Amino acid sequence: MNSKVEAEKKPAVKLEHVTKKFGSKTVIDDLSFEIYGGEVFGFLGPNGAGKTTTIRMVVGLMRMTKGNIFIQGHSVKSEFKQALRQVGAIVENPEMYKFLTGYQNLIHYARMIPGIDKKRIDEVVELVDLKERINEKVKRYSLGMRQRLGLAQALLHRPSVLILDEPTNGLDPQGIRDLRNYLHDLTRKEGVAVIVSSHLLSEMQLMCDRIGIIQKGKLLGVETVNEFVQEGGEKVRLTVDDGAMAARVVKEKLAIETESIEPQAIELAIDHEKIPVVIDTLVMSQVKIYGAVSVTKSLEDRFLEVTGGKGLV
Amino acid sequence: MSNFFALIQNENMKIYRKNATKVMLIILLGMILAAGLIIKLNQPAPKENTQWKQSLVQQNKMYQQQMAQVKGSKQAVNYYKQTIATNQYRIDHNLKPAQGMTLWSFVESAAPNAALLISIFAIIVVSTSIASEFDTGTIKLLLIRPIRRTEVLLSKYLSTLMFAVFCLIVLFVFSWLIGGIMFGFGGAAEAHLSYINGKVYETSWVLAIWKNYLLSCVSLFMMVTFAGLIASAFRNSGLAIGLSIFLMMASSIIIQLLGGYSWVKYVLFANTDLTQYTTGTPLRSDMTLSFSLTVLAVYYVIFVIIGWLFYTKRDIKA
Repeated sequence: MNSKVEAEKKPAVKLEHVTKKFGSKTVIDDLSFEIYGGEVFGFLGPNGAGKTTTIRMVVGLMRMTKGNIFIQGHSVKSEFKQALRQVGAIVENPEMYKFLTGYQNLIHYARMIPGIDKKRIDEVVELVDLKERINEKVKRYSLGMRQRLGLAQALLHRPSVLILDEPTNGLDPQGIRDLRNYLHDLTRKEGVAVIVSSHLLSEMQLMCDRIGIIQKGKLLGVETVNEFVQEGGEKVRLTVDDGAMAARVVKEKLAIETESIEPQAIELAIDHEKIPVVIDTLVMSQVKIYGAVSVTKSLEDRFLEVTGGKGLV
Repeated sequence: MSNFFALIQNENMKIYRKNATKVMLIILLGMILAAGLIIKLNQPAPKENTQWKQSLVQQNKMYQQQMAQVKGSKQAVNYYKQTIATNQYRIDHNLKPAQGMTLWSFVESAAPNAALLISIFAIIVVSTSIASEFDTGTIKLLLIRPIRRTEVLLSKYLSTLMFAVFCLIVLFVFSWLIGGIMFGFGGAAEAHLSYINGKVYETSWVLAIWKNYLLSCVSLFMMVTFAGLIASAFRNSGLAIGLSIFLMMASSIIIQLLGGYSWVKYVLFANTDLTQYTTGTPLRSDMTLSFSLTVLAVYYVIFVIIGWLFYTKRDIKA
């Protein structure tokens, strides 16, 4: 993501001091962030943190107690129709009319927004790979097929903001990969803003450009995936012939503490530029090096670290 | 507005694609068929009556005497006057009274029970249409379209009323056919005699039947609106169906129990039967047609506003 380009663009979705109270309980507390066209934004948080509540406020299913949400500059509060015209979404599970066929379901949603013709419906059906079973009743669909039909209804009207709640739920590995590639195309080629929430953190790492972490209704931070993961520090793992000796060498000659010592490997938390220095020093001290890998923390590790590791499914 | 037409199309698709709706239509047809068969099988073969004019004259004489005896009761006097006038009209215009059941009298007699059945169906349809989307979760994908919730609710309500009208048309056509098959299509040309302000007129049976249907629909209309209110408020189709049907069935008992109080006239069910002003006597002497229409209108507006507020203002948590 080029941050320079980003700064010049108008946000596709903008939350301004959004607060939601159920009675006296504050569920969402002063949430503000922006999402831009051309990026996949991941929305992360433990269960009950307020992800779904936030998404529901964005799509107008729930009212906010305070604040405002703008979609392509239109307020969800005062310009509901213009705002929602830009949005395609799946909220939680893709619940469709089970007594109708997949195609009838799509016709149903197509009728609600002007300008969607039969050709577009067929195009979307082709896209989500449901062509062969589109005329079957939805009650006979598997979860993965329902998920794909859900995606189809969200894409029908070519929205500029796509909101997907747990989109990989029920998809097989091939389906997940297809979805990832498709979202990549949508954002890069058509400039769509995509908001994804998921519990599959490793999946989010592959899919998202930026992530926002929410806990107990508060935003802990919005960062790019790389920044987020690297903030935990970079580590390098060296495979050597004698771990103990290697650790002694780096301590004596470079004054670097080893993170962990194994008989045939050591791990060091050091800056990127220091890596060749360490390797040089080890080689000079007759330590044999068989491999060097940089170990970044996975999103999951970081996530657990940030949220305190509680209440995550 | 083409957009709103599309919403109606959607709601119609959801109503008629459901198996439950197909079952309702089959029950309606089955009931009419069964009624026709039962009446046909229990009816003695009509005897050819060539002396009908004499017997009508006899009847009228008898009624004249009886009428003199019941001077006090306005209702009874009215009834005798009407019968005598109708009989006289038949004698004067050589219109032989029908023997037993005919096509049109079958259509007429099927109306009250069928109207009750259609009311129940319409209550089920409106409750399901509004509330079941909350149970199934489809409400979320429905309300995130660039369409106001008011329009969605209105499309559901109007589609239900259209369903009720469709049922009435089915009832009319099918009971006409069954009546014709069972009791002879010859009866189709029969004239309908109506008694208005002391005079007898020959009118169309079709008009008379539809007037009858429309009067029965006052209760249907109010109860469908009530069911819609409950469905919007509690988002529970079972509750809306159960409560509405219970109240509709219990309405005559409720009115009887409250009959002694003067405020009974403000109760909804005291005003849903408008035939009390055309053929019967009003529940209370101080009640008039315009009074009842006003009461109905007030209830209607209250139902609509409360239902609308619940549907459009509350968060969707389903």
